[in-house]
Amino acid sequence: MRIVLPDQTLRKVAHGPCSVNEVLLSLGINPLEVIVSRNGILVPEGTLVSADDEIRIIRIAHGG
Amino acid sequence: MVPEPAVTAAPSCACCTEPAVAYQPASRRHLCRTHLISDVEERVAKTIRETGQVHAGDRIAVALSGGKDSTALLLILSRLFNEQQDVSLIAITVDEGIAGYRTETVRAAQDLTRELGVEHHIIPFSALAGADLDTLLVGREKQACTVCGILRRKALMDAARAACATKIATGHNLDDEAESVFMNVLRGDLPRLIRDTGAGSGDCFLPRIKPLADISEKEIASYLFVQGRFAILPECPYTRYALRAEVRSILSSLEYRYPGTMRHLIESKEKIAKYCAGARAPGTLNRCRECGDPCSGEICQVCRLRHSLGH
Repeated sequence: MRIVLPDQTLRKVAHGPCSVNEVLLSLGINPLEVIVSRNGILVPEGTLVSADDEIRIIRIAHGG
Repeated sequence: MVPEPAVTAAPSCACCTEPAVAYQPASRRHLCRTHLISDVEERVAKTIRETGQVHAGDRIAVALSGGKDSTALLLILSRLFNEQQDVSLIAITVDEGIAGYRTETVRAAQDLTRELGVEHHIIPFSALAGADLDTLLVGREKQACTVCGILRRKALMDAARAACATKIATGHNLDDEAESVFMNVLRGDLPRLIRDTGAGSGDCFLPRIKPLADISEKEIASYLFVQGRFAILPECPYTRYALRAEVRSILSSLEYRYPGTMRHLIESKEKIAKYCAGARAPGTLNRCRECGDPCSGEICQVCRLRHSLGH
């Protein structure tokens, strides 16, 4: 699975089907502070993602 | 602990058979793109209706920074009042002059107002304070949010008055409101905690309305994203000095572990304001001896700030 992190860096992880929520928590990210797309489509945290998905994590909280 | 949504390959919308794009912990529902958009817009309309925020004849000045909250606000208000002839919208963007930050958001604000056909005014800080924020803050960066907040409110109020607006609408969302309550408690600032900025004050202040106050930051981001309108914009470089940044992180963590925390904080504030209503001393409103603006003392905050900045 390819994961694009909020700072645009790319991370490849091998582990198989798991929920978006689990992916975020494994990265130490609070799910309330981001939105997540799978292959370009916004998905809720309960969605299962698999090894061939591209997950993009977008940080939503900005100061200013 | 958090009641997690059920994990499925692709959750479906609670209102139709389309794939869901978001989960709402408060209602415990998954929503598809169409129902997320309509849910957010209907809840904003409900907030406006129930709190009596908008009346026939209103000319609403939308504080448009170009960031996600104000973008969503202008988009929703323009949809809600599109066919209502007796309510009009204008947008005001205050350009603080923050290098590497404001240029992009001002451009986003210009693009949006052009697309929606909304009258747009851009007010540079230099016109108000004689210099941009970066210049004003040299050597006093830790005061950034205080200095910026005072001048931005003044710029917004002056521009709204000059444009004959009857109200100012800001993009404060549920998270912002909860953060403000928490910050006022941490500072022990009861007067600010219970202040009602929606009421205005005679001819002195324009009432401020917050139509997004019931919508979470995450819902706003999702609402924009599914319409292709979520732009990744730079973060204000002064955020790291702000108490709000720490409060945001703490509250977000609490909200995740104990859903409803933010709403409970806002409800507490409303209860305290209610209890204090009868006991609140009617503050005397004076005119600043230097600029004539309304203030509680002899000199207003803006003039005090100008002095401290050496202007």
